[in-house]
Amino acid sequence: MSQAADSFSGRFRRWARKRSIWVFHVNAASCNGCDIEILAALTPRYDAERFGVELVPSPRHADVLLVTGTVNAQMKDRLRDVYEQIPEPKHVVAIGACALGGGVMKGCYNVGHGIDKVIPVDLYIPGCPPRPEALLFGIIKLVTGEPPDRREE
Amino acid sequence: MSEEQDRELRKTGAGLMEYSPEGIMPFGPVHPSLKEPEYFSLLLEGEKIVDVQARIGYVHRGIERAGQDNTWIKNIYLFERVCGICSFAHSIAYSQAVEALSGFVVPKRGRYIRTIIAELERIHSHLLWLGLVGHWTGFDTLFMWIWKDRERVLDLIEAITGNRVHKSYSTLGGVRRDLPDGIAESMKKEMEFIQKRVDYYSELVRTEQTIVVRTRGVGRLSQDAARRLCPVGPLLRSTGISRDVRVEDPYAAYDEIVPEVKTSNEGDIASLLKLRLDEVADSCRMILEAMAKLPEGGYKIAFPRVVPRGDSVFHVEAPRGELFYFVRSAGSIKPSRVKIRTPTMANILAATEMLKGHTLADVPVVLTGMDPCFGCMDRLSVVEAGSGREWMMNGEQLRTFGIEYYSGKG
Amino acid sequence: MDSQAISEIAAKTGGQAFINGRIATITVKPEMLRDACAMVSSIPGLYHLSTITGIDIGEEIELQYHFWKEREFVSVRTMVGKQSPQLRTVSDVLPSAVLYEAEVHDMLGVLFQGNALMGRKLLLPDNYPKDAPPPLRKEANPEEIRRLMGLE
Repeated sequence: MSQAADSFSGRFRRWARKRSIWVFHVNAASCNGCDIEILAALTPRYDAERFGVELVPSPRHADVLLVTGTVNAQMKDRLRDVYEQIPEPKHVVAIGACALGGGVMKGCYNVGHGIDKVIPVDLYIPGCPPRPEALLFGIIKLVTGEPPDRREE
Repeated sequence: MSEEQDRELRKTGAGLMEYSPEGIMPFGPVHPSLKEPEYFSLLLEGEKIVDVQARIGYVHRGIERAGQDNTWIKNIYLFERVCGICSFAHSIAYSQAVEALSGFVVPKRGRYIRTIIAELERIHSHLLWLGLVGHWTGFDTLFMWIWKDRERVLDLIEAITGNRVHKSYSTLGGVRRDLPDGIAESMKKEMEFIQKRVDYYSELVRTEQTIVVRTRGVGRLSQDAARRLCPVGPLLRSTGISRDVRVEDPYAAYDEIVPEVKTSNEGDIASLLKLRLDEVADSCRMILEAMAKLPEGGYKIAFPRVVPRGDSVFHVEAPRGELFYFVRSAGSIKPSRVKIRTPTMANILAATEMLKGHTLADVPVVLTGMDPCFGCMDRLSVVEAGSGREWMMNGEQLRTFGIEYYSGKG
Repeated sequence: MDSQAISEIAAKTGGQAFINGRIATITVKPEMLRDACAMVSSIPGLYHLSTITGIDIGEEIELQYHFWKEREFVSVRTMVGKQSPQLRTVSDVLPSAVLYEAEVHDMLGVLFQGNALMGRKLLLPDNYPKDAPPPLRKEANPEEIRRLMGLE
């Protein structure tokens, strides 16, 4: 850990980041199932905003990139562009079976097998589609390094 | 092609879909459902939209080809992943096309259960859409309310099928499981709840100015244009043409549980709001009726691995309109061709027609109004006629722009 | 099913009509396809073109234009040679056909003369390999296409 990161402002920044996770969502040739579950996670039943998670409309404002779907030929370069626009520190979450390794679409002529062949991935959330609880669990685990229920508060 | 022919084609709407290099976006407008990602580039004259160009294909995966390499039963799990919102419509359309080819008849109970799930899916899809219209008109409270109510429908779907989104519930020859015990009571409770909420929302979208100002007279589609461009589903019915596959060509148990087809003569987004809410109320009634009439007996028959040679054409009324399946069997364990035409594919031409003549501020509402799901609006490229200047607006900026534009007009 | 109208159309266009349950099929020559579609769509209530299905059947490509009304389907069917498949567009009489024709063009390489979308990609990516066959042809190999597009 560098000295700057250990300074007060560095620690403050890390503390603040963990409590305001702004996510940007890319649909890279997904069937929409994962996308509606991401939206469901933000609405009152699951309410991701209580953890500071907010969906932002521009990658330049985001900390975390949520990617759903098998990356197809059209979306491959565009996904990489979006990834490069996100400021550091950034994390990528692959959501759903398709984003992990192709899922049922594996072998189709226009799909890549998993987004980790295009951009580096920090966290994989399996499921077809994953439940909103799984999404919340994954994102909290990503920023705290621990499952939410074991977090020291 | 001569210039005259070209002009003629443009007049009929056929020239709309070309796109030119200045319209290409750095990052595609991803449409969440399978084959219908759309990219609209708008030709503006000041505020007014004079031409619309669309480019689709950003979510193309090649499912039709993959369907030729899978066995008949495996294809159910593939085809329901064409779309996450109307996944059950896809699986019953495919199952019934194959059943028609084999000449097997699904037991009555199985057909009733299919009808119930299809209607639950319609409720969840329409509510989802209504919430998004609320979001794009700047009425986020409506969005949050509706999505909260929608969770109760998803709970019911989960209790019956075991999953919220991709149900994998329909199979060749019926449904995979029987209804769980005690579902009738919770179904009754939830449907009554939804019906009460729908009454409230109907009143709300009729009177609340936030919605009324943004939707009345917006995105108008004439009946002539509808006949020409063949849109399907609520979009077609909002122009006064009464056409519903469930009534005209009944499948599952729709010959006994008859839906009431609602039409409207306005053809604008406000009428679509009313139409879809009426359909939700009607679906609630149909589900309760189907639960009351639910016959005893088997829900599934054994289905052979090989399907006899022949062609089969089948369509169902998905939440967004007519969903079309063509299946050809060569008498083996795999289909030799499956063709899918999803409702949004039929509606794109109509959507470009609806956008013309409106202002930039109306774009998100009109595009949501045709129910293409929401992702396509995340980026739009705007070309200003005259100066040739091009700038990008993402969905959020456009939404803010629309809200500010209308807030000045009371 | 209005079998009389169907057989009349078949007689006028020099084709064959075949009715199987709720599906009527009219098989015509490619040059008569546009006329047959225009006649079918002028039967009252039958204006709705559901879609166009293209099938690779070996030596030829089969095209089916599906019209729908109430409990009946009418499919206008034709075959075009696989070497240089082309025929005249129906989008001037049926504007909704423009997208479906473009889809068949993409997937099977059939050229529709007069369609505004020919020569462009509708569903396929712009970098779809030029020397690979269209994806729904029998000779197309998904693995090979993926390799050429750099998806491996």
